[in-house]
Amino acid sequence: MKLDTTGLESALPLFGANCQMVDGFTAAPAFDLPTTLDFDGFQKEAIQMVKPAKGTTTLAFIFKEGVMVAADSRASMGGYISSQSVKKIIEINPYMLGTMAGGAADCQFWHRNLGIKVCRLHELANKRRISVTGASKLLANILYSYRGMGLSVGTMIAGWDETGPGLYYVDSEGGRLKGPRFSVGSGSPYAYGVLDSGYRYDMSIEEAAELARRAIYHATFRDGASGGVASVYHVGPNGWKKLSGDDVGELHYKYYPVTPSTVEQEMVEVSGA
Amino acid sequence: MSIFEYNGSALVAMVGKNCFAIASDRRLGVQLQTIATDFQRIHKIHDRLFIGLSGLATDAQTLYQRLMFRHKLYQLREERDMKPETFASLVSALLYEKRFGPYFCQPVIAGLSDDDKPFICTTDSIGAKELAKDFVVAGTAGDSLYGACEAMFKPDMEPEELFETLSQALLASVDRDCLSGWGGHIYIVTPTEVKECTLKGRMD
Repeated sequence: MKLDTTGLESALPLFGANCQMVDGFTAAPAFDLPTTLDFDGFQKEAIQMVKPAKGTTTLAFIFKEGVMVAADSRASMGGYISSQSVKKIIEINPYMLGTMAGGAADCQFWHRNLGIKVCRLHELANKRRISVTGASKLLANILYSYRGMGLSVGTMIAGWDETGPGLYYVDSEGGRLKGPRFSVGSGSPYAYGVLDSGYRYDMSIEEAAELARRAIYHATFRDGASGGVASVYHVGPNGWKKLSGDDVGELHYKYYPVTPSTVEQEMVEVSGA
Repeated sequence: MSIFEYNGSALVAMVGKNCFAIASDRRLGVQLQTIATDFQRIHKIHDRLFIGLSGLATDAQTLYQRLMFRHKLYQLREERDMKPETFASLVSALLYEKRFGPYFCQPVIAGLSDDDKPFICTTDSIGAKELAKDFVVAGTAGDSLYGACEAMFKPDMEPEELFETLSQALLASVDRDCLSGWGGHIYIVTPTEVKECTLKGRMD
């Protein structure tokens, strides 16, 4: 029975789309072009609309027991906080996670697309799970083919496959990097400071979770565009598990409790005017 | 982001029964980065007159210093404190002097005038006075503050109730703004005492 690939055929000519070896499941889904007189101007405006949107803090690192993934939960539009409860860690499948930074719609769609159209189809066609390397490469190639069209995606693909834990950084410019530690978003410099100074390869799961939580907390403290809830997930040999979701406002007072201070000035009677 | 949103601020003043309260957030930032969480935005001119300055922090500091200078001269010459209405006119005049190169500030003036009647007013960055009978707001969280105050305000509140209402309105509004918050500062002024409190808020 031939698979129905009409949904996958592209109206736009993509690089390498005429290659026979792709077997019908790697071509990106087709999108209709908008009916405008000035397509380039429209694209420019669309890019500008999404541009300030990488207001977030996400991080992931590999350690002895697997991969730890953490993120905040704030969505901001310029100065306005539109939500404090956004899910920025996307569950691609039971053993792979993706993080969201940049345009929310872009990240959600492409992660779902990766999970259903790419990873699941690969599993069914090849009778074995796709590797983290493979999934991240396919996502990077798809995003590269949309380069310059205004997608805003800064994601990390974290998972556990036959070779052990895997972590890749993939962005909408088409970049793909393999590494042991990453942090993405406007709060990433603050998170890197805490993460890099506290990181050791041989940590226990609790220590690694606390490091991730602390790094996200410090980023939410300093960065205006990060806040809400610090979610921490762990990816182990049996798949991912959500470890905690702590409100950052309460974490501050847990790490720095308010102590009663000495009275500096007594109240003085003010003579009525 | 505009120049008014460079440092981030939230200011609100509210009228009660023979008293008033003025509150601000405590964050000083450079666009999205937070630099300080104990920035003083409200200043005392004299025991019955307070001014809060929102907007660009450097202009707020300079404007406050110029106003203090003018008030001290007034005290030397007139041998008394300035009335809040007079002070508001002074602020308005000082801001309009710079009509074609303005201070990027929005002041909130709150004081007790004759017969202990509370007086509040705000001006825009070039000195247009807006007198209000209930509350005035300023800063990047201004729109949220309007909504929160409108919903929670009641006329003729006693000082304790005024404190609760204003604190809740401020904290709720700054929780919807990336650029302000990180705690709160509130002054409750009655004819006999001035109470200053720090509010515990979300630090994100």
